[in-house]
Amino acid sequence: MIFYLLTLLLAFSVIILQRTFVDLLFAGKISLELSLMLVIFAGFNFEEVRGGIFAALTGFVFDCLSGAVMGLYTFFYVIVFFLTRLLTNRIYSEQMFFIMIFTFLCVLLEGLYIVVLYKSVFDVNMSYNLYRVFLPQALVAGVLSPALFAGLNYLEVLFHAGDRRSTESL
Amino acid sequence: MFFFKKYQRLAIAFVFIVASLALLSYHLKRPGQVGFFKKVAMETASPVEKGIHSAFRGLGDVWGRYLFLVGLESENRDLKKKIADLQNEINSYREMYYEVGRLKKILSLEETMIYSTVAARVVSNERSSLFKTIIIEKGTDDGIVEGLPVVTSQGIVGRIIESSWNVSRVLLVTDYNSNIDALVQGSRAQGILQGGGPQLCRLKYVQRTDEVKPGDTLVTSGLGGIFPKGLVLGMIATAEKRETGLFQHVEVMPAVDFTKLEEVLVLIPERSKEKRR
Repeated sequence: MIFYLLTLLLAFSVIILQRTFVDLLFAGKISLELSLMLVIFAGFNFEEVRGGIFAALTGFVFDCLSGAVMGLYTFFYVIVFFLTRLLTNRIYSEQMFFIMIFTFLCVLLEGLYIVVLYKSVFDVNMSYNLYRVFLPQALVAGVLSPALFAGLNYLEVLFHAGDRRSTESL
Repeated sequence: MFFFKKYQRLAIAFVFIVASLALLSYHLKRPGQVGFFKKVAMETASPVEKGIHSAFRGLGDVWGRYLFLVGLESENRDLKKKIADLQNEINSYREMYYEVGRLKKILSLEETMIYSTVAARVVSNERSSLFKTIIIEKGTDDGIVEGLPVVTSQGIVGRIIESSWNVSRVLLVTDYNSNIDALVQGSRAQGILQGGGPQLCRLKYVQRTDEVKPGDTLVTSGLGGIFPKGLVLGMIATAEKRETGLFQHVEVMPAVDFTKLEEVLVLIPERSKEKRR
C-alpha cells in the first residue's frame, strides 16, 4: 500500500516539477517530460505489476493536469513501460548510449502518437510539432537521460539500503 | 495454471493495455467531461504551482525593477506623449459610442445579453506544453462553468473547458482545439479562427474574394453563442491567395500575450434583456 501511495506522490511531484520549475528553467521553449523518463526507468527496473501500476498512475496524473484528453498519457505510458520491459528481457540495457537512443525514440514515438491520434479523431493537424516541439524535446531528454537514470539508481540504492537497515534492526 | 504461469507477463501487459485503452476510448467519445479525480488533482496541484510561480515571479520582478531604472526618464517622456495620443483617440471613440447608442435607439436594436465579470488570477501557465491551457483560481463556487469566455484588456484569451470547485482550466485561442467564429473588422470577411501552436493562429474558410490584408484587426462575430460580438481576437499577420484552393491562407497574431498572463476576466452572462417594442 505504501508503495502505491509513494508512487502517487512521486508522480504528482514530478509532474508539478516539470510543469513549473522545468518549464521556467527552459523559459517555455522546450518541454522536458520527466514523467516519461521516469516510466522508462521503471521499465528497466520494476517488475510487471508494480511497474504497470506506476506507469498507469503517472500517466493518469499527467492526464489530469495537462489538459489533454483523459487517457492519452495513461495509455502511452503503459505501452512505453511494457515496451521497455520487453527490451530489458532481451538485451543488455545498462549502456549509456542505449539509454540515450531509447529515450530519444520514446519521446519521438509519443509525438507521433499524439499527432496521429489528434488527426484521426479530431481532424487537427499537429504534424508541424513533430520537428518543432518533439524533436528538440527528444534530443534534450535523450542527452539528459543517463544522468537522470544514474541519479535515480543512486536513490534506489539508498532506499533499499534504508530498507535493509530497518529490517536488520528488527 | 501452467498456461497462466507461462504467459503471466503477457497477461499482465494485456490487462493494463486494455484498461488504459478503455479509459482513452471512453473519454475520446465524451471529450470535456471532468471526473472527480481530475477535479481533485487540479485542486491539489494549483496551490503548489501557484506558490512556485509566485516565487519565480517575485524574483523576476526584483530583477525587472532594477533593469527598468535604466532609461526611465526617456521612457517616461515617451509614455506621456503616448497617453496624450491615446486620450485623443478615446475621446473620438467615446463620440462614436454615443452616436452608435443613438442610432441603435432609432433602429430599435438592443443588446440581448448582459455580462458580469469575475476577475481571476492565473495559477498555472505551462508555456512549453503542447496543449495550450492555463489554470485560473476561480471555479464553480464563483459561478464559473464550462463554456464561459475569458478575456483581458487586450482581447480574447479563450474559454473555460473544465471547472472544479475552486479552479478552472481555460483553453487558449492558440490551442489546436480552439475554433472561434471571427470577422475582419474593416472588410467584414468571415472565417473560423483556429489555434495553430505557440504563436500564430489560422483564420480558416476566408473566401478568395474577400479583402484581407496584414494589420487588419480580427474580432469575434458573436456567432456560436460563446463569445460576445466585437471582442478583439488579434491582428492579421499574413494573407495569401494560393494558386489552388477555394479559400485564402490567413495567419493571425493573437492580441493577448499569453506568456505574460497574470489576471483574466471571466464573462458570465447575467440575463437576457427583453426586446423593446
